[in-house]
Amino acid sequence: MSADDARRDRFDRHALVTTVWLPAAFLAVLTMHHGYSGAGVWWVVAGFAALAGGFAAHIIVNAVLATGFTAREVALGLGCFLLGALGLMVAVLVVDGFAERYFLVTAAGLAGLAVIVVFYMVTRFGPRQAFQHFDVVRDNNPRRASRLAHRGGRR
Amino acid sequence: MTTLLVVTFAVLAAYGVYIAALAARVAPGPAALVDGGADLPGWAAVFAAAGIAVAGPGLLAHLVLTARFGMSANHVAAGLVLAAITAVLLQKRLWLAARIAGLGSPGEALGRYYGSVTLRLVVLTVSALFALPFSATLLSQLGALIAEASADALPRAGVVWSVAFFLFLPAVIGGWRAIVLIVAAQSVLLAVLLVAGTGFSELALDGPGFLSAGIAVGEGLLGDGIPGVVQFSAGIGKDIAHGGIFTTVGIASTALSLVGIVLSPGFLYLAVTVRPGRSAGFAPVWLIAGLGAGILLFLTPFLAARMTEGIAPLIAVLSAVEPFAGLALVAALAIGLQVTALFFMTSGALLATREIVVPYVVPDLTPAGRRLAARIALAVTFALAAALATFAPVSSAVVASLALPMSVQLLPALLGLAFVRWISREAVLTGLIVGTLLVVFTEPFGLVLVEGLFGPLPWGRWPLTAHSAAWGLVFNAAAVLLVSIFTRQVRGRGQRDRLHDEFAARWKTDFGGPAARGAKWSLTLIWSFLALGPGAIVGNRFFSEPVFAGETAPIGLPSLWVWQLFFWLIGVALVWWIAYPSRLAVTSTAGLRTLAFDPDPVPPGRAGAPGWIAAGLARVTER
Repeated sequence: MSADDARRDRFDRHALVTTVWLPAAFLAVLTMHHGYSGAGVWWVVAGFAALAGGFAAHIIVNAVLATGFTAREVALGLGCFLLGALGLMVAVLVVDGFAERYFLVTAAGLAGLAVIVVFYMVTRFGPRQAFQHFDVVRDNNPRRASRLAHRGGRR
Repeated sequence: MTTLLVVTFAVLAAYGVYIAALAARVAPGPAALVDGGADLPGWAAVFAAAGIAVAGPGLLAHLVLTARFGMSANHVAAGLVLAAITAVLLQKRLWLAARIAGLGSPGEALGRYYGSVTLRLVVLTVSALFALPFSATLLSQLGALIAEASADALPRAGVVWSVAFFLFLPAVIGGWRAIVLIVAAQSVLLAVLLVAGTGFSELALDGPGFLSAGIAVGEGLLGDGIPGVVQFSAGIGKDIAHGGIFTTVGIASTALSLVGIVLSPGFLYLAVTVRPGRSAGFAPVWLIAGLGAGILLFLTPFLAARMTEGIAPLIAVLSAVEPFAGLALVAALAIGLQVTALFFMTSGALLATREIVVPYVVPDLTPAGRRLAARIALAVTFALAAALATFAPVSSAVVASLALPMSVQLLPALLGLAFVRWISREAVLTGLIVGTLLVVFTEPFGLVLVEGLFGPLPWGRWPLTAHSAAWGLVFNAAAVLLVSIFTRQVRGRGQRDRLHDEFAARWKTDFGGPAARGAKWSLTLIWSFLALGPGAIVGNRFFSEPVFAGETAPIGLPSLWVWQLFFWLIGVALVWWIAYPSRLAVTSTAGLRTLAFDPDPVPPGRAGAPGWIAAGLARVTER
């Protein structure tokens, strides 16, 4: 495969990924807005379910095209997750009655998303490699000798 | 609602420009703007095809008609199964013919196969009908919908020009590849929004819905059944068909008109420019016949039951409960209109560039010059469509009514290319002339013209409640069969034989043994008779007053709706049976041999053109 073909395939995959996230994001906004407007916590749960559905569709895209999450996608996902967590904290502090009505379901939703991601990583990579994705302490030794097997085979 | 609408469409416009910019960056060369390198990803073709097939005939129109005429109008959506069968039969063979003979577009394929410039021009004319009046009508409907939803805060004309401009940007930046990707993405969004909007309206709105109250239709209309097999009506505009216009003849013939979408030059161009793979089967079977027809048949009655006063009040009520739910419904309908307009305007401009401008008008262009020519054609097409939508919406709608039935008239020609070698050029052209005349004089365009010039005609639109597509195709097919009998061995048969011999040698379609073959076609006919044809009248009472029980058995649902869903499921199985075991679902380039057709009857350049045309063109293009 030429470099041009590879570039075009990456673009096609990117377009497909945006295709699956566009409706998932809209559904999440619709149901969460309705839920936070007082319609009930199950609408908020439905919003998190839409996000989980988008993630599942993304995994299916990866499986069909034999690819994985790109670094940018991981960064964007983490950024959105942190933004959500930050939003939850701000809402608890600023919005009257939010903590009593919505803290539990929102925190559970965010935790649920985190659990889904961890579950995916464990089933995709196995427990050891899944942990190594986050194990930055293990990778902080720049010496080549640290990569030798008898020293633990770091990296 | 206005703010939400503006933000949503701004996001969609930004998404379109983003995808187009990326597509332009990965394009292998200037020529890829016109055909996407004839290597479109299968998933994009699948979603785009499904979106166009479902939204093309008019999602909003389907809702409005169902709200007005009841379940008989909803029945028409089962015609998507018929469209899927047609797509399954033709797409792979057309793709193969294009790759075997090095032909890049449907017009070129038909023109070169039959050795006819006229046929090429007919395809271009149909393409222009879709690109200009048809798309203009969609843009006009889109402008009216948004103006209504925003209580005229967004004026119709402003919406038309804004949408046209923001659809033009991705087309001119990224070309065919970008447009197919954008249409695919928005088609998925359309499906999700339609389901979400309908589901939300049922969950959140008070008042009787479809399941408890049915669809309330006007006086004299049959809301929960089909008003007869046929009605001897002179046509719309002349008299009023008792019980409604969607008799079984009306349903079957309107369903036939849906085939026009999959036979439209733009749709065929999509089929020709996709990379080899499984899209030729997946899209028709699972997304057009399966998901698309299913969504329409299942969801439309729920929305239509709440549309007694039109779509705008429903949107207003839904928005009052949850603004995003109202937005979902408006956005679904608007996206349906805009993707169809985008698809047909772009394909029309690119086909015109490819088949007229580059070979004949300015034949000496460099690849970059051809790209510029395509961009100019895109600009002209989008501007013309927007102008028609703004200043002549009624005239556009009158001419646009010809697009689908005219497209259906290409069926014999395409069947000849795909399967029936004895269909000759003379037969196809005769059939097209006859079919076109029938279509024109059973649609408002011809009726208005003749009645304006000469006086009243004894028939109106769709006499005997039969759609113009059916009137045209019946006489077209009869003419093709008749003329083919006398022209089976005329000049050009050798070329047609070469292609079909190649099909038979390497790309044999396996419809099975005599028993399987007979079963396939007889079951298709039986399905058509019961699902869309005269047999569908049985569905009016079949489940609520079964004849074998001798008494009523209320099931809490309209019997006809159960009938529709039942035959939809059987229809999906039928399309699958035709597509997959017959090897019509998968395309491949393995073992592909090229074949040289006879030289074009009018070779590229101006050598074959009359002197005055060549001189005129030279005066414009060689200054």
